[in-house]
Amino acid sequence: MNIYFFYISLFFYLLSTACYLLFLTMNRNIIEKFGHYSLFSGFCIHFLATLVRYFNAGYTPITNIYESLSFFSLCIAGFFLYLKRIYRIEIIGCIILPILSVLLIWASTFPTEIRPLPPVLKSYWLPIHTIFSFVGNAIFFISFFISLLYLVVERGIKKKKFPSIATRFPSLETLDLINYRCMSYGFPFLTVGIITGSIWASVAWGSYWSWDPKETWSLVTWIVYAILIHNRLAIGWRGRKTAYMMIIGFFFILITFLGVNFFAGGLHSYI
Amino acid sequence: MSVIKNNIYKFLSSLSLTIFLLCFIAFGSIFGTVIKQKADVEEYLSIYSDTTYTIIKYLGLDDVYHSPWFIAAIVLFAINLALCTYGRFARLIKTEGKVALPDESELSDMSMVFHVGSKERENAIASIKKGYQTIYEGEEGVVLQKGVISRYGVYMIHGSILIILMGSLIGMLFGYKGFMTLRKGETKDQLILRGTPPKEVPLGFSLKCKDFQVSFYPGGAPKDYVSKVEVLDNGRVVMERDIRVNSPLSYKGINVYQASYGASTSFLFTIAGERVTLSERETYEKDGLVMMIARFESSIHNFGPGVLVAYLDQGEPKVVWFLKDVERLKEQKIQGVNIKLEDIKENFYTGLEIAKDPGVWVVWTGFALILFGLYANFFIYYRRIYIRNIPDGLIVAGIAFKNREGFKEEFEKLKRKVSGNGS
Repeated sequence: MNIYFFYISLFFYLLSTACYLLFLTMNRNIIEKFGHYSLFSGFCIHFLATLVRYFNAGYTPITNIYESLSFFSLCIAGFFLYLKRIYRIEIIGCIILPILSVLLIWASTFPTEIRPLPPVLKSYWLPIHTIFSFVGNAIFFISFFISLLYLVVERGIKKKKFPSIATRFPSLETLDLINYRCMSYGFPFLTVGIITGSIWASVAWGSYWSWDPKETWSLVTWIVYAILIHNRLAIGWRGRKTAYMMIIGFFFILITFLGVNFFAGGLHSYI
Repeated sequence: MSVIKNNIYKFLSSLSLTIFLLCFIAFGSIFGTVIKQKADVEEYLSIYSDTTYTIIKYLGLDDVYHSPWFIAAIVLFAINLALCTYGRFARLIKTEGKVALPDESELSDMSMVFHVGSKERENAIASIKKGYQTIYEGEEGVVLQKGVISRYGVYMIHGSILIILMGSLIGMLFGYKGFMTLRKGETKDQLILRGTPPKEVPLGFSLKCKDFQVSFYPGGAPKDYVSKVEVLDNGRVVMERDIRVNSPLSYKGINVYQASYGASTSFLFTIAGERVTLSERETYEKDGLVMMIARFESSIHNFGPGVLVAYLDQGEPKVVWFLKDVERLKEQKIQGVNIKLEDIKENFYTGLEIAKDPGVWVVWTGFALILFGLYANFFIYYRRIYIRNIPDGLIVAGIAFKNREGFKEEFEKLKRKVSGNGS
């Protein structure tokens, strides 16, 4: 049942992707509007799919790769919709939506059936820890693309060779503001994700910190973003430097989120 | 002399040192996830060459998180953080007492500023004051502020990191982590600390496993494991409860966790008419007969489970298989003694993780404080509004250090409200 909702939401995301790609070539507001509502519908149905799966399975469905990627995509869609309300960044939809669709298609290649929960995951900490961590990751995921775009737009301005599309991208100032917002939301979420994980570990594994690969890499990621924040707030790095740091930070997120599970194993490997 | 002292202080409290140390700690931590930690020499030598292993051992990369350089880096980081935070905090306190109202030209240069006519003066001041705290009020004007707690957020975060580090130090010094295996009905008052060699230490009380149960999902994956445990202190039962995964037992500051389970096999023999229970690798010795359970196989070809028994025949080791389901091989003679394999039993035992960490509450305090700090620092914004009397009314200016766009919007709203539809 939940899987049908999942596919319906995927259909809407794909529709939205098509709209945004069309919007990139044909600058018509009506296309963007259609893309926006498709994205919004996709998000709502995706949320419903997650909710249905929660009731079907009896646990928060963030316990294996399929569920994780699906929930991660949901967070990305949600945070992008949130940012869209504040800033005029419609055009960024043509970057976020294709990636969102690819993520969801990739998710659907993993086993999607509901499996019984291993005893260690039976805890109230499961939803708390995973939701904070995933929202944090999703925020940094978006800031990664914002940063890439920043570098592209900046290079375009410097070389004065400006493809006509680039004029429609948000200004460098807006991109930097978004990056700043991502930083000041993402970091607290990341921290709470680590803290709740630590408390859970103390209940389940007998120690709040055991230098498990997942814990260690999350700490390293936290350090990277802490350095970024100090560079910005205390030293005053802005614009390009923040963008570079955000890109570096995201690679650490990627290793912590997926790399550790795929390659390193350890206590935190639930695939 | 004081110059040197001053320079050392400057260096120790500098942000560059913080960033260097953080990078250093991050790199060190990564080594710990790439190189296997606390493994045996043989294991390292099977992966690395002799020279590489010597380097790993020399640098302590086989146990990064407890190596002197790693701990030194963390201690230095704590000192750096404490000094840096203290320095900034002292400066904040100094400036906090002095609130000055900038003069007119300074105010009109600010990016967020508007004027109010003298007719609306009283109403304007009253409506601007709403939601703001007055920190200065005088002849020439008013200074208002909001979200002052946000300025303390960073100190809460830094302070909480120091508290967390202190908690972990307490845990390292006064805590331990070990394990205990208990079979059904067994009582133990010692736990085993991991290490080479493992060490047995007294627990201070005893644990008795009254029951242990493993349940499985239809697919065969474990669903739940529960140990029903009795805590005995001075021979008296003081507590009885079920220990499950995610639900540990806590007694006298010591936590007992359900970590694993296993099965041990025991073999029931009749040796010369006497019933004997042996487990794997156990030696039986009586009246010149020496035998040992060398190996257990749950299935030998199609003959069912079997036990390989080693014995000494005039000083020479020999082996013989006992097969439980084969009548001919169930009962055999070793050195003239009649030996019969009666039964093979699988006994589950529970694996309990035992930890004592008196620093854990300090760490929790740090966690709670860091949450407040993060909220104050990232979600509350400090704003200040200056209102100055000028001959033809008021000049109102606002400043914000964070989330300027948000404040700009709020300030515009305020401007519209105060000046009505006019100016």
